[in-house]
Amino acid sequence: MNPGGAGGMSLLEYHVLLALASAPLHGYAIKDVVAVESGGTLTPRAGSLYRVIARLITVGYVMDTEPANSPPHPGLARKYYALTASGRAALAAEARRLKQSAALAEKRLGVARSRS
Amino acid sequence: MKAALRFLVRLFPAAFREEFGAGMIEDIERDYDQARARGPLLAMWSALTIAWDLLRSAVAEHVSPTWVRATPTLAEDQAMRWTGNEWMTDLRHAVRSLKRSPGFTAVAVGTLGLAIGANAAMFDVVNTVILNPLPYANVDRLAYIVASAPGSDMGEEFGVAAEFYVQYKEQSTLLEDVSTFNSFTATLRVNDRAERVRMSMPTNSLYSTLGAKPILGRLPVAEDEERVAVISYELWTSWFAGDSGVIGKSYEIAGDNRTIIGVMGRNFTFPNDGTLLWMSNDIKAAGITPGRFGMELVGRMKPGATPEMVARELTALSKRLPERFGGSANYARLIAQHRAVVRPLTQQMLGRVAGSLWVLLGAVGIVLVIACANVANLFMVRAEGRQRDLAVRRAIGAARGQLIRSQMAEAVVVAVLAGVIAVMLAWTGLPVLLRAAPPDVPRLADVRVDATTVLFTLGVALLSALACGLVPAVRASAPDLTRLREGGRGATRRRGWARDGLVVAQTALALVLLIGSGLLVRSFRALRQVDPGYSTENIFTFQIAPDGPTLTDGPSFARFDLEFMERLRALPGVETVGLVENLPLDETPSSSRVRTEQMANDPDAGTMMNFTFAAGDYFKAMGIDVIKGRPFETDDHALNPRNVVISKSAANLLWPGKDPIGQRLQRRGLQSWETVVGVVDDVMQNDFRTAPTPLIYFPLVGPEPRSWTIASPAYVVKTRRAETIAPEIRALVREVAPRAPMYRVYTMAGLARDSMTQLSFMLLTLGIASTLALVLGAVGLYGVLSYVVAQRTREIGVRMALGAEAGRVRRMVVVQGARVVAVGVAIGVVTALAFTRTLGSLLFGVKAVDALTFVAMSASMIAIGLLASYVPARRASKVDPIESLRGD
Repeated sequence: MNPGGAGGMSLLEYHVLLALASAPLHGYAIKDVVAVESGGTLTPRAGSLYRVIARLITVGYVMDTEPANSPPHPGLARKYYALTASGRAALAAEARRLKQSAALAEKRLGVARSRS
Repeated sequence: MKAALRFLVRLFPAAFREEFGAGMIEDIERDYDQARARGPLLAMWSALTIAWDLLRSAVAEHVSPTWVRATPTLAEDQAMRWTGNEWMTDLRHAVRSLKRSPGFTAVAVGTLGLAIGANAAMFDVVNTVILNPLPYANVDRLAYIVASAPGSDMGEEFGVAAEFYVQYKEQSTLLEDVSTFNSFTATLRVNDRAERVRMSMPTNSLYSTLGAKPILGRLPVAEDEERVAVISYELWTSWFAGDSGVIGKSYEIAGDNRTIIGVMGRNFTFPNDGTLLWMSNDIKAAGITPGRFGMELVGRMKPGATPEMVARELTALSKRLPERFGGSANYARLIAQHRAVVRPLTQQMLGRVAGSLWVLLGAVGIVLVIACANVANLFMVRAEGRQRDLAVRRAIGAARGQLIRSQMAEAVVVAVLAGVIAVMLAWTGLPVLLRAAPPDVPRLADVRVDATTVLFTLGVALLSALACGLVPAVRASAPDLTRLREGGRGATRRRGWARDGLVVAQTALALVLLIGSGLLVRSFRALRQVDPGYSTENIFTFQIAPDGPTLTDGPSFARFDLEFMERLRALPGVETVGLVENLPLDETPSSSRVRTEQMANDPDAGTMMNFTFAAGDYFKAMGIDVIKGRPFETDDHALNPRNVVISKSAANLLWPGKDPIGQRLQRRGLQSWETVVGVVDDVMQNDFRTAPTPLIYFPLVGPEPRSWTIASPAYVVKTRRAETIAPEIRALVREVAPRAPMYRVYTMAGLARDSMTQLSFMLLTLGIASTLALVLGAVGLYGVLSYVVAQRTREIGVRMALGAEAGRVRRMVVVQGARVVAVGVAIGVVTALAFTRTLGSLLFGVKAVDALTFVAMSASMIAIGLLASYVPARRASKVDPIESLRGD
């Protein structure tokens, strides 16, 4: 619950941004990609997923868009979502933070192991 | 199921839905379909998780929106987020802590879900049938109008006559419109298909009175005279396959050719659900013979008029009838005594059913209260276990409100989960419930789980959360800080007044339900022992509607019937065969004035009496005793022997203290006099509750060939093979009358069962409710005592170390349980005394305050209470003193 906040983002938010970093996707595709890329630990249901998307749009990380190459199914007006420039920046920042945090963890665990 | 999930999407704020609704629905459907492809269990699980996620997200979206159109001012935004966030944090904590104790969560959610589900289903029925009963405009202004004449020989209430209708329609200032209505069965013949169906012949003003319009064609007008009819949506779709070409075609309806001019909407089923068509009819002031009573009226009152005002006006209007329409002295006397009866139409149509349904809603409501009490108890025990934790939080400065909120959050989570389960239960359980329901409940077919039900369920769930969470939460918010000092192992034992109170309430409420079902069981048994005057065993019955060029009048139909009965008798295993125009438990006979030679020579003299027609060995087949004289013989069904058989009560009424055999009577409208040749026992015509009414049996043929024509009577076949003989009779009917389909095919045993469906439905539902209440109550008591024993382990250990015997310890615990139960039983009995009256008309052969039932049910309640206390008592007596004290 930290809409628009400068600090960290939730894991699901991170994974949604990550999924959109490769190409604009529609809702269900986002969910599939998130499930795969999180190694199955995140399988958001519709309600949670769309609230995250809504929040990401509100803070300006994501926008809805026309699909780039695949023309929409006739009669099936799907919404596609894409990363904005600030979304890309936020994702990069979060990735950096995660990396540092992971590095820190590895270092500490290494120390802990060597002590015992 | 998908529809239910789709519906949950609607719980999101409109702006959110507009933007993301379509995508969410697509996702949900794909998710659910994928799960369903892998089996029903997975589908169920997937539906549950999706539903939970939707509910949670929808609530969260309302509390702290992620999607806002209009930007709120900064202050508002902050305020909203602040409380929202705190609540969300509490809810998240609650979910996490409930996940850690799955046993507690399962029991609490299951108990509440079951109870709320039962309430949702009953509410649905009540909402459709009672709160939303008749799909007509201005339902609250529609009134049912009949007559009464205190002090006359007419029944307590009776239908008015044509001249009343004319007078009311022309002169009433408080009625905007008025119409007659009725309901009867007659033959409808469409090409090769002929059946007796329910139809009605109201005046053409019915449609304007009710505000009903056809969906096809037009409504009848005065110029149509009696030559046209409008048909119901059901008839249109079933007999005519929804073909609009039916308009303008003519068919034989109730013996005459009538043209179909319109189709009514699906909802139009006046005056009852099975009515398939309405014939045109217009009553004109000219040519009315006054005094032909028996018409029921429906009127639309002016806004602001009450039934009492209308009744006063109509009574006054009726006093001028004799001077306008004439009539006999008897008629004038009756008019002088006449009082109009006006009551709301809904009350008339739903009165009996409504009472039962409210009782059932009350019963499941009681189950819910008991379930809440149980869950509240569980929460209280849970909070006790956390006393230390709460005391620490309080000590380091948590506000009381914060503690209450964090405790309430768990209750809210449990209740919302229970609500989801409840909606699913109602969804799956409702069709089962409706199948067991009596057929005469109006609009039952329209009952389904809809948005109102879901909202109701969620509302009830949240109320339940308040009910089961608040007391424990408030108590827990003031933890005993001394526990901190003593390391939490002190011997302090707070009196569990709240817990005891809950058990007392549970016991009392469960007992009320038990006594209610006990009374119904006794009524049911009493009804089964009633002697209706006929046998219901080994009797098969059916009707056919034969036609053909030779079947034209009374004698020709009689010849057909007598020959047909011979053929029936020849079937293997058939003992006796007879026929009757109005079979008991199936149809109501017509009524008319009947006078004897001893009465005045005036068509208005005489007594109102039912009459029907019988032939063959009807009385023998039905097991109706012939008390005096003889039953009908074949010769009685020829032209003009003019012999009749009458029932015992008819004989007592017409010739009290005299021998009725050889006496003569005249039915109003006939010129001839008929001779009584036999007296038979009374029969209960409509059900096993109503006392028999006087009945006169006429033969198949009257004094003239066209005096009457009995075209489709009910044949009564006495055979031990009543359950299996249908195919052979079908074959015989195909042979004798190939174009005549069989209908109203029953066994008398089946009709007897059906006549009790209302009671057996109540019995079933109330039985389930009281069983649930009993089990929940017992579990509640058991839980409380177990808890108390666990709390007192140390104390009991000390007692036993000091030499207390096991028996004494057991007794101590059981007595504590018994005291609580005894108070509950006392309160329950008093409550039941006040409430069993609501069962009123359902009871039969047993008083609402039947001592035996009260004593027996209280005794079983106490027995179960003792049993529930005994298990914890045994555990207490097995306490090992060494073990219990070692902890220190």
